[in-house]
Amino acid sequence: MFQIISDGGCDFTKDEAVKYNVDIVPFYVSFDHVTYLKAEVEISKEDYFDRLIAEKDWFPKTSQPNPQDYIDVYTPHLEAGRDILSLTISSKLSGSHNSAVLAANMLKEEYPDRTITLVDSLSVSMGQGLLLREIIKMRDAGRSLGEIAALAEQVRSTLRVYFTLDSLEYLKRGGRIGPTTALVGGIFGLCPILQLEEGQVTQLDNVRGKKRVLKLIEEAIVDALQDEADNIALGIGHIRNEAYARAFQVSTEAALGMKIETPIIEIGVTIGAHAGPGALGFAYCKKYDALSNRRVDVA
Amino acid sequence: MNTWFIVAQILGLITICFEFASYQIKDKTKYFLVTGIGSFFWMTMFIAIGLATGMSTQLSLIVAGTYSTIRNLVFFRIFSKNTPESKEAGLIFLLVMILVALVAGVVAILNSPEQVRWLHALGLITALGFVIGQYLPGVHYVRIAVVFYAVVVLLTQTPLNILYGDFRWNIMGILIESAKIISVVVFYVRYASEPKRPGLQFAKP
Repeated sequence: MFQIISDGGCDFTKDEAVKYNVDIVPFYVSFDHVTYLKAEVEISKEDYFDRLIAEKDWFPKTSQPNPQDYIDVYTPHLEAGRDILSLTISSKLSGSHNSAVLAANMLKEEYPDRTITLVDSLSVSMGQGLLLREIIKMRDAGRSLGEIAALAEQVRSTLRVYFTLDSLEYLKRGGRIGPTTALVGGIFGLCPILQLEEGQVTQLDNVRGKKRVLKLIEEAIVDALQDEADNIALGIGHIRNEAYARAFQVSTEAALGMKIETPIIEIGVTIGAHAGPGALGFAYCKKYDALSNRRVDVA
Repeated sequence: MNTWFIVAQILGLITICFEFASYQIKDKTKYFLVTGIGSFFWMTMFIAIGLATGMSTQLSLIVAGTYSTIRNLVFFRIFSKNTPESKEAGLIFLLVMILVALVAGVVAILNSPEQVRWLHALGLITALGFVIGQYLPGVHYVRIAVVFYAVVVLLTQTPLNILYGDFRWNIMGILIESAKIISVVVFYVRYASEPKRPGLQFAKP
C-alpha cells in the first residue's frame, strides 16, 4: 500500500485530487509579500487571477511548501502503514523538492520501516499533471512503488512542455523581461513560445502575430507526434482562455487523429503570475504502457 | 595603381563572400556573426579607399560601416546569450543607435541637393526597415527588407542616379549590394526545393 502525494505544481483541482486519491501539498501565494495564503486552500485560482489583473502595483510572490507542510501530509499515511510516492515541481524552478527531501529525511528515523520515494518531475503545471496522471494509471494497474518510480523516470524523459503567452505584460511585471523588450515586443506583436528544458523555462522562439501562433503550434505538434500519436498522452492548460484551449484541442485532435483524454486544466499559481491571463500551454509524453517493453530497473 | 586601392578591392571581395554567405544561413545567431564580420570588412574597405583617395570623402561611409558592424555584433550577442538582461541591454543600445542614425540621416537629407533628397529619404526608410527586419523573428523579414535596402543603395551607385548629378560609379559597391540580392534569390530557390518543415519545431517525446 502506498499513497501518491504531489505538490500544488501539478494544478490538479480539488475534485480531481479526491477522485484519484492524491494528496496535494499546496504552494503559498502573497500579494503584499507579508501575508501568505495557501493556494487552492485559502485563495482560489479565480480570486488569485482576479487580483493579479486588478492589483497592478503588486506582483504576487509564490513560495514553496516548507518541510513541515510535507511532514503534516506524510505523517498520517506513515502512521497508517502506507509508503509514499511524492511528486514535486521541477527542483530547478522551486525549492519544493528540497522541502520534500528534508521532510523525508526527518521522518526516516521515526518510521524506519516505511519508504518515501521522491520523484522530481522536472516539470510544472500541465507537464507535472500529465506525469502524475501516468503515475495514477500505473498505481491503478497494480504496479509496485518501485516499478512506478522507475517507470515515472522513463515517462519524465519523454515529457515536453510548451506554452505561449497572450501578453508580455506579466513577464515584465515579474521581472522576467525588461521594459524595453516588452515595449518593442508589444509594438511588433511578438508572441514568445516558451518551453521547459531540463527542468527550466527557456524561450524556444518568437512568433509575430497572435493568429499565426496557433497555426504554427499545431503544425509543430503534428510534426513531432504524428508517427506515434496512439502512444502519446497530451494535456492542455490555459489561463482564462478556455475557448482558445477548446479550439486548440479540437483542431489538434483532428490533425493527429486522436482523442485527447486528459481534461483541459486551468494553469495555477506556480507559473500563472508570469504567464498571465490568456496564456495557453500543453504538454505531451509517452504513455507508460508504451514504454513497458523497455527494461525497468527496480531500485 | 595605389596599393591601398588594391587592398580595398580585396576587402570588398571578402565582404561579398561574407554577405553572400550570411543570407544562406537560417540560424539568426550565426547569421549575425557572419554578417557582422562582413560589415567589419565593409568598414575596413572604406578605410582602405580613404587611405588611397583621402579620408574626408570616406568618413561618412566609415561611420556607416562601423555602425553596421557594432549593430550586427550587438544583435549577435542578444541572440546568442538569449537572457533577459542581454536582450534588454542590447535593445536599449540599439534603440539609442537607431535614434542617433535617424537624426544624422535627417540632417544628411536636409543638406543634400534637392533633386536627390527622395533617394536619401528612401535610403533612411529602407535602412530602418532592414534593422527592424533583422530584429523580427523568422527567416523572411530580414531577407525581404535587405532586398529593398540593397536596391536603394544600388540606385545611389549606378547610372540610374546620374539624372540628378549625384552619380557615383562604384563597382565594388554595386557588387556587394548585388551579392546580397542574389544571395536572397538563391536562398529562396533552395528554400522552395527543401521539404516543407513547420516554422516551429517541437521535440519528439
